[in-house]
Order: sequence, then C-alpha cells, then structure tokens
Amino acid sequence: MYYLKKTLFLLTLFFSFCFYGQEKLTISGIVYDQASNETLIGVSVYFPDLKSGTSTNEYGFYSITIPKGNYKISINYLGYKTINENISLSKKTSKDFYLFEDTENLDEIVIETNIEKLNIKTPQMSVNKLSVKTIKQIPVVLGEADIIKSIILLPGVTSAGEGASGFNVRGGSADQNLILLDEAIVFNSSHVFGLFSVFNPDVIKDVQLYKGGIPARYGGRLSSVLDIYQKDGNNKNFKITGGIGLVSSRLVLEGPIKKKKSSFLIGGRSSYAHLFLPLINNDNEAYFYDLNSKINYRFDKKNNLFFSTYFGKDVFGINESFIAKYGNNVVNIRWNHLFSDKLFSNLSLIYSDYFYGLTIDFVGFEWDSGITNYNLKYDFDHYIKDNFKLSYGINNIYTKFNPGEILPNREDSGILPSKLTDKYANEFAAYLEASHKINSHFTLRYGIRYSNFSRLGQNEINTYENNSPVIFNQTLQKYESAIANGVEIYKRSDVLASFNNFEPRVSFSFLLNDYTSLKASYNRMSQYLHLLSNTASPTPLDIWAPSGTFIKPQILDQYAIGYFKDIKDAQYSFETEVFYKDIQNRIDYINGANLVANNYIETVILNGKARAYGLEVLLKKNEGKVKGWVSYTLSKSEQITTGRNENEPGINNSKWYNTPYDKTHDLSINLSYELNKKWKLSSNFLLQTGQPTNYPVGQYQLQGLNIPIYDDNRRNADRLPSYHRLDLSATLTPTKNRDRKWQGEWVFGFYNIYNRKNAASISFTQNQETYRNEAIKTSIFGLVPSITYNFKI
Amino acid sequence: MKKITVFLFLSTFLFSCEEVVDIKVPSGEPKLVIEAVFEVFFDDIPITAYTEVKLSLSTDYFEEDIPIVTSAIVTLKNLSDGVIIDFEDLDLDGNYLPVISFIPEDNIEYELSVIYNNEIYKGIASKIRTPKFINVEQGVKTLFSGKETEVIVEFPDDANKQNFYLFNFSKNFYLSIEDRFFNGSNYNFSFFYQEDEVELPTNVKIKMSGVSRNYYTYFRVLANQSGQSGGAPFQTIPSSLLGNIINTTNTKNFPLGYFHIAETDTYNLSLIE
Repeated sequence: MYYLKKTLFLLTLFFSFCFYGQEKLTISGIVYDQASNETLIGVSVYFPDLKSGTSTNEYGFYSITIPKGNYKISINYLGYKTINENISLSKKTSKDFYLFEDTENLDEIVIETNIEKLNIKTPQMSVNKLSVKTIKQIPVVLGEADIIKSIILLPGVTSAGEGASGFNVRGGSADQNLILLDEAIVFNSSHVFGLFSVFNPDVIKDVQLYKGGIPARYGGRLSSVLDIYQKDGNNKNFKITGGIGLVSSRLVLEGPIKKKKSSFLIGGRSSYAHLFLPLINNDNEAYFYDLNSKINYRFDKKNNLFFSTYFGKDVFGINESFIAKYGNNVVNIRWNHLFSDKLFSNLSLIYSDYFYGLTIDFVGFEWDSGITNYNLKYDFDHYIKDNFKLSYGINNIYTKFNPGEILPNREDSGILPSKLTDKYANEFAAYLEASHKINSHFTLRYGIRYSNFSRLGQNEINTYENNSPVIFNQTLQKYESAIANGVEIYKRSDVLASFNNFEPRVSFSFLLNDYTSLKASYNRMSQYLHLLSNTASPTPLDIWAPSGTFIKPQILDQYAIGYFKDIKDAQYSFETEVFYKDIQNRIDYINGANLVANNYIETVILNGKARAYGLEVLLKKNEGKVKGWVSYTLSKSEQITTGRNENEPGINNSKWYNTPYDKTHDLSINLSYELNKKWKLSSNFLLQTGQPTNYPVGQYQLQGLNIPIYDDNRRNADRLPSYHRLDLSATLTPTKNRDRKWQGEWVFGFYNIYNRKNAASISFTQNQETYRNEAIKTSIFGLVPSITYNFKI
Repeated sequence: MKKITVFLFLSTFLFSCEEVVDIKVPSGEPKLVIEAVFEVFFDDIPITAYTEVKLSLSTDYFEEDIPIVTSAIVTLKNLSDGVIIDFEDLDLDGNYLPVISFIPEDNIEYELSVIYNNEIYKGIASKIRTPKFINVEQGVKTLFSGKETEVIVEFPDDANKQNFYLFNFSKNFYLSIEDRFFNGSNYNFSFFYQEDEVELPTNVKIKMSGVSRNYYTYFRVLANQSGQSGGAPFQTIPSSLLGNIINTTNTKNFPLGYFHIAETDTYNLSLIE
C-alpha cells in the first residue's frame, strides 16, 4: 500500500503542473514502411531544435506535445532512410510518415540495441532488439533461422545446450521468461524437443528482449520478456515470401484486402514428414508445423482492429506404439483506439493454450494434459507532455490447468480412465507508469504494478497433518511425501489462496554527454505459475502448476546499473551492465521426486531461494562492411533450499548450490562481412563454461545393477567440459535479382565448423559387455552443413 | 512411465553421438552396502524362498573390483515371536545364508541386523503379496528400430489395495510399476528387449514381485541412476539413495542398500526368432 500511495502522490504532483505553461500543440500519427504500409515499432521521432523526441509504440503510433513554432523533424529508424523535414506547427497536427528501406546501402543494421542516440537517453536498459534480417543471417544448425537460438548470442542469455528447450536469462530458469506473440502468452517455445523454435521468421516484424528494468506493463514472469510482434500484412501489394530448407519449408502470403484499410497475412511452415526418421523405419512419423495468420482493418484514423492466430504442433510417433503430440494455439483480437491525439489505447482479448498428448500402446494408455488461458488486457499510452508520458492498464488472466487425464487406448488395455485434479486460477493486474524527462540530462521512469493471484476452488484438494505435505524422516534421514489425512472439496467460486503483490519499477538515465549515459533500474516481479521440472532443461511433458496453499509465488528483486556509449557517431557502441537478482520462493524437489503424473505435487516440493549476479559487456560495430558484436557475460546463478528446522538438512546441506544453468563465462562473437553485392558472410563464435552437473563419488552393486553414488552435499558442483564452437554462413544474392520480381537468395551454412564434440551430458553407466564402468559423453551436433533458399515475390 | 522419457530423446539421438571419455571423478568414503532382497516363490510346490544377504562396500566409481564384506555378523529377528535366525558366510564370498532355511511368513515383521566394524545396522521389512501371472507370451510388435523383441505380460491387480510391482525380465532388466491407473483390472503391458540385449532363440525367466511403496520409489530412482533409463538433457538431478536400513551406532555413516521381502511369481519363457 505504501508504494501505491507514494506513486499516486507523485502523479498528482506531476499532473498539477502539466496543465500550466505556454501554449502547446500535439503532433501525432503513425510511421509506416513505405513499401508495405507495415507499421514500424520503435521509430525515433526527434526535434533537434528542442532536443526532444519520442518513439513509436508497438502499433507504430507516436504523439508528442511541443510549443507552437517551426521545427526540423527527424524520423529515424535503423535500416531505413532518415526523413528530415521542416514542419510548421501552428495547430494540432496529425501526420503519418512513410519510411523507405535503405536498399542503396546494403548495410542493414545487424543488431539494434541502441536505436540511434535517443536510446541512450531513454531509461530503458537491459533490452536487446533483433531484426529479422539479422536473425536470418546468423548461422544456425540445419539453416533453420531461429529467434531463440539468435538471442542466445546476446549478453546475459544462455541455453541449457543444444537440443534443450527454452533459454535462460541472467541466471533465471526457462519458465521465468514471458514469451509474448502479439501480446499472447506462448507456453512452449520449441519444436522437436528444443531443436527449433516455434517462431517462423518470415512472419515476425519485431523482437525485443527485456532482461531487466522491465516496464510495468509486463508481469507474471521473473526473468525476462521476449516480446514478439507479427507483421500486419502488406497493405499495398500482394507478396509471397518463402524458403526451402533442409528441415522445413516456409511460405507466407500477404496483401491488401482493401488498400489503406485492410490487409491480411497467412504464413505456414512445415517440416518434412518423417523428419529424421525414415532412415530407420518407415512406420515412424515425426513432423512439426506452424500456421500464423493475421487480418487487420483500419476503420478510420482512430480505430484499428487486428485478428491474429497462431497454431503450432509437433507430432512424433513410432509404429503406433508411441505417439506424442504437443503444441500451442493462440487466438487474439485487438482493438487500437485513439481517444485523443494524446491517448492511445489497445484492448486485447486473447485465448492461448498448450497441450501435450501421449499414447503409449504397449502400456495401453492415452494421456492428455494442458493449460488454457483467457486473457483480457487494456493498455493505454498517454502522451501528456513532451517530457511526460503515462502508461497504464489492466490485465486479467483466467487459467485452467489440466495436469493430466489418462484413458485406455484399446479395449483390452486394463487401464482405467482417471484424471488428475484440474486446477483453476485468476490473475489480475493493474499498472501505472510514468516516463518523465526531468531535464536534458536526466530522464526517469517510475511505475507500479499491482497483481493479485487467486487460486480458485478445485474438485478435491488434500489436507496434511500440520499442514505439511513433505515430512522429514528423522530415522532414515530423508524427506518423504506425506500421506493426506483428508480431502476437501471446493466450488469453483471458492478462493483457496490469494496473493497480492505491489511491484515497483524504477529506472533512470543520466546523460553525461551526447554520446554517453548512465542508467540504473530496479524492478520487482512476481510469478504465480511454476513449471514443474527437475531435469536440466524443460521437457514438453512438464506441467505448469499454479501457486496456492502449498506453493508460494516467486518474487524477484532485480537491481542493475549500466554505462552506455556511442563511439564515432554511433558507428560503434559500447554498453556494460552489472545486475543483481534475488528470488524468493524458488522451489526444488525432494530426492527421488516423481513429477510425472503426480496429483499431489505439494508432497515433493521444498521451498528455497535463488540469486544471480553478473557483469555484461557488449561492444558492437553498427556500420560498415564488417559489422557485428562481441558479448561477454561473467555471472553466477545459485539456489539455496534450507531445512525447515534445524533437524533437517534441506538440499545440499542447506548451502548454496549452482543452478543447472549457471555459466560463469559466456562469450559470443557475431561478425558479418559484406564481400560484395553478391556475397555476404557471417560467423559466430561461442565459448562458455560447461554446465553444472553431478559426477559420482563412488559406486556399488545391488541386484545385479551397478549404481553410481552421488553426494547430496555437492549438488551441481561438477562441470561439463567447456562449450565452444564456430559457425559460418554465406548468403548469395544472385545479381539477376535486380531486374526481376523474383528475389531469391541462397544461404549456405556450416554449424560447428571445427566439429567440436561439445558435451550435452556425461552419463555414468556400466558397459554391458566389458562390465566396466564408463563415463559417456553425449554430444548432439558435430559439423552440420546446411543450405537454404529464400525467396520473395 | 520410464520408457516415455527414453523416447523423448530419440529425435536428438539421431544427430547425437556418444563416446567414452576420461573423467576425473571425486572420491567418497566407502560405505557398507546391504542387499537383503528376499523373494518367496509362493507358486512353487513346496514353497521356496531366496533369503540371501549380500554385503559389500562401495568404492570409487572407476574401481574395477567391488570389495566384499565377509567379517560381519548378520541376524534376522522375527519381531512377533522373538526368534532369531543367524546368517553365515561360509564361502567367504560376501553372501550370507541363513543357518536354518526358512520361509518368511505373512503379516510378520522381520528385523535384519548387521554388525560390521563395531557399528550396528538395522532394517525392518514384512512380506508384500503379489498375484500370479495370467499369461506371459512373446509378441510380434516392435518399437523404434523394428528389431526389438516383445514380451507381453498379463496379471490381475487386487482392487482392495494399492499395489506396487517390480518385474525382472532377467539380464538385469527391471521395471517397477504401480497400479494407480489400473487398480483392480486385469492389466497387460509389453516389455521390449533391444536387438543387442537378447540373442534369439533363448530362454528367459520373468519374475513379478509385490513390493512396498517405499521400495518402489527407491527402485525407480535406482534404475534411473544406474543408466537403465534417462539421458541428456532430460535427466533428473541425481541424488544419494537412502534405503530403509539405518546405522544405529552412527547415523551419519548411513548404509546403502535395502531390506525387502517380496512374494514372487516366476515364468519361464522361450523366446523364438
């Protein structure tokens, strides 16, 4: 409550002086790409005379209120030609801008952490932006352009290795990333158990990753926000974009339905049937597909409606004995409305689900699980003055969790139908945030997000003696699941547990000179959903569980400071940040916990804490024939789970232990070189500390099995060997492209060019022939060449 | 469910390669390992039982010899009548046999005690019932490689209680299951030998034992850590495995292993090509 009062006080203060001062006028509008009428996100709209400016929001809208007069205006966006105009502002003005793509100069900007100098001034720090062009050039395994594999090259971002789902930001777990596709929450970001990400690069307009200083409009996950927007569809001409790769083919159709009013986009990507498997047996199937679609309709200058969908699925089957299917569905309607030239609003209604289905014939069952949510969001951007902007809104998410249902898959199966108890929850949030330029040096952003999470009534919930679902067996010195002493039955309208959190968000930038700034931020986040996973990286089988009587919400406090510098007129840029994160209520599991199909997950959970800290450095070259960046992160990510009283050992004897994604050093280098108009080369080099792992401290024999012994007091204390690899890619743009409609390009890639066998894991097992114990290193990708053809019509 | 996770890796396996590497592993203190897993073959006429206690020590992971323990005192006490049975290792091979052979009885708690290095280890168990097989036969289905050998097992589950089973398909292939999803029905499932795991034709002895909930949990983790299932990157974080035997002299020096008494049904199956 304290925070709320303070914020309200500050806001009234600012409002009160907003209404005085000289006569000011508002100029507002939308910035488009001239070729496609696609709105552009994050375009700088700058008045050099006033040293004042703004940038376009997620829907291309800008608004700024400045004194009457004649000004130079500069519209600037990377990869586009800057518009410099003189503007005479004598009345309220609505003005749209159309930017031309900078095709003369083929130097597309590789990575846009700083969108021009203005960005040095905004308080937003810890954010990285990737253009789709960059993503398509980054060499990736099998040539499958991939957003998530690309962001891993940024400072502070790692993954649990090749073939591992998700990504880890600043020492956070994969379930702590909020992944948004057109504002809808995407629960599973990978295809084929982590080999590829679910985002078709051809339909993506904009990708932003927030690692810290997270704006108040985002919430619900602790570590990061990956905010992805799909294209609206070309409003001028019918266009076809596509690509043919080794793994999948892509095709995107887009065009106007009614010029200037309405456009559509429909995109599909599908892997080849029997992906990888036909080599082995023809009765197997494995494939994935994505289907993206979007329609928008601009009623008038003030109203714009969007309808977009995403469907993605993976199917993996063997002889009808084993079939796994999983995927996401997202349907979403959004309405942009301008209440005035200063007040932009977006109302979103979103349906999103993730399902996982499994049929295992040889044990005779079918298994279905999933999570479904309904999300209502109403967001406002209020451009009150040139130096003062408010963002506010509300968000309500209703979620149904289906932890699993089992059915016999054939008549003689013997399996009885049964169901794990469905769970229900509602999450409400409201936020208010101000961006406030105090003077030409100092800009502040401050806000608060209030969130309420209510765990709603479910059919049955167990009760335990002393309210303790996990007991510590003093005699055997181990944690055990308690047996329920009762069952309570609730109505859906009952609230089993309710949590309220105020999440302050503050950041500022202080300009030392035109090229250098200092930034600092603090943000608190709360996360009410937990992905139950006791493996090194999430699996599609993992279940999301809501907070409730037994599982508390995770709360994060993150502090970061940074130094940002443009060198040589932004040809180079340098940024470095230091962060510290503290997480309450990070769960871990008792030894031997079985999470699969566990209806009483509370009986295997122990509550702990986590923390992470580190230093990130990013040096980029933004222009010229050679472009790219060097990113280095030095960090520590650890966890502690203490005993609940002095008789209990907790995990790792109540001492801090490495999280499975702790990587001390992480160096990534990405360079691209434009050889000539035809050839462009690009390369990556990665060098990382090996992942934490556990090596056995001994062995013994039992019932003919040879069993490694692990020491509970040194969890995650060992490391896999260091990870490093070099990738190269070459893009060939045939010269005959220039005079024709068909624009093609070839991308040749070599992943892991020196064929380093990086360890994905080291397992300890007995050789069945020699009966000797062995350490076996599994590596996933050696040298993988690839070829992809992309085209545009 | 164990098999499920195995399949999750298949896609990555297609690219992956495995090689044996030299890894320096840490060294821990040796611990006493007590393997007292009794089986009562209730379908034999007359009923027979396997009641051997094996004692050994844990050792460094890459050590080739497992040290055996021959100098311990092993006794078993019937907790309802107080009768004590002595066990002896006459062959000095670490296998302790009861001096008088006996068949563990129904509804009786037995206490095993082992005295080794002046420390006393104790564990308690009572016999867990099991039904008889309805049928065990060779099937024709295959899995991933198309060259597996299928064995179909069918048995009736007792509806009146929660049951846990441990199957031994010989050659150290184990499978532990619970009746949660088939309570009270005649349940059947298939087990697959990989191509390189059996050489056809051959005879295999298949055993089904009733086990306690705790032993089921214990064995699931044990099989997982021994490498019978799991793999990167979805392997669970390994942990120490504490059984049901405690060191009453020095709690910190806990032993490894388990004391369990099961009823076991066996089935001899000839596998053909």
